[in-house]
Amino acid sequence: MNFKKILIAVDASENSMRAVRYVGEIVGSSPGFEVTLLHVAVSPDRDLFPDEQVWKAKKQEMQANMELFFRKSRTALIEFGVPSQNIHERYIQSGGGSLSHQILGVQESDGFGTIVIGRRGVSKEEEFLFGSVSNKIVHYAKGCTVWVVE
Amino acid sequence: METVAELLKRLRPNLSVGQYGKIVTDTSEFMEIGYGDVIRVGGLHYLVLRDETERSFGIEDPKYWIKRCVLLETGDRRILKLVFHESFPLRLGKLTVKCYRSPEKESRVLELVRGDWRFMQGITARDDHANPVRVLEVIRGKRIDEFVAGLEVDHRTYFFEIFPGLFEKFMGACEAIAFLHEHGEKHGDIRRDHLRVESGTERFRWIDFDYTYDFYENPFGLDLFGLGSILTFLVGMDIYHLGELERLGFSDVISSLTSEDFSLLYPNRVVNLKKIFPYIPDGLNKILLHFSQGAELGYETVAELLRDMESAKAQIVKGGNLS
Repeated sequence: MNFKKILIAVDASENSMRAVRYVGEIVGSSPGFEVTLLHVAVSPDRDLFPDEQVWKAKKQEMQANMELFFRKSRTALIEFGVPSQNIHERYIQSGGGSLSHQILGVQESDGFGTIVIGRRGVSKEEEFLFGSVSNKIVHYAKGCTVWVVE
Repeated sequence: METVAELLKRLRPNLSVGQYGKIVTDTSEFMEIGYGDVIRVGGLHYLVLRDETERSFGIEDPKYWIKRCVLLETGDRRILKLVFHESFPLRLGKLTVKCYRSPEKESRVLELVRGDWRFMQGITARDDHANPVRVLEVIRGKRIDEFVAGLEVDHRTYFFEIFPGLFEKFMGACEAIAFLHEHGEKHGDIRRDHLRVESGTERFRWIDFDYTYDFYENPFGLDLFGLGSILTFLVGMDIYHLGELERLGFSDVISSLTSEDFSLLYPNRVVNLKKIFPYIPDGLNKILLHFSQGAELGYETVAELLRDMESAKAQIVKGGNLS
């Protein structure tokens, strides 16, 4: 695995931006690094919305937020010295199920040597009930390095 | 259009009704539907008797969107759940979870479990406004906790005489929840009052499927925690709060308890029940500890829980160690 091929899993949160900045600081203008921002988009559950219109509006809002996040992240990475042509964005629609496993699927299929993910720090009870993407990535990742940025 | 009086005369001439209301074909304004009204959906007529109520902290809480009815065509009792979208914070011990009420989700689950007695049965009929009205059959019986509370035996007798049978039935109830999860659905509101013990058959049957949440990484975590809570209740024959142990005669246990012996979400609730009842087999107690503050690892799936329950079953023998 090429550890210089970095996959940052992002979700438009502050934690994700911290992960992006951390990568920017570490990588800077060092040669040979490729940085890919990956967002696995989970459509809001239709069951949570009283009608189709509100649901569609929410989906569009989420996509727009993510596009804005990608732009901000690219700018931040460039400011740290990462060449623009070495920054890539991938927006994939969740196929259902665990996000961590989908992120690990991309890492494995595309040969990323490093996964980076932000974490807000969840309590034990929160992890039990809601799950934790970063903890699962740490637990299940194989053949790559994982950076968890708090 | 036929009036309610005419309808009753034609379909249920012997049914005595205090007041004749209106015939409703659009149920959107459910607050305006009350006793004596008739809801017509799916080509059938349901006479409204009253709003459903839920007892919570000793107070009757009316559920205006749930109507207790008589199906005029047959005379059978039915429960009609009308469309009510809401979201609200649900407090679970230390955590607060945003919960949504989804009629569509409940309709889907009803369809999925049709003919499966482990779940309440019902159909969805659309009214004139396309609202999915859930028409539910009434399950005659008690909530699981009321059923257990009605057993007038001490814990030891309960545990060795009655619990083995309940445990096996509860495994069946867990398998039912695993079935939902395998089909991508969650129950959403697993609590003691949503597991009924049917009169006559004493079968365990799940009710009420309209709650949902926006958890994605661990969508079934709340269901699993609910199963753990019910199992803890069944093993203990009750819930044991720290503050009540002395009154219940378990003063000697208090000094041995550590934070790890308590529920992950409810810090005053003892889940390490072996400290209270030492005859609880280790295998069974270890399952309970998965839901404790001391747990290193929780269950991720109901299948994992069921595997441990299957292993523990051999140690839970009816009549064993009663002396």
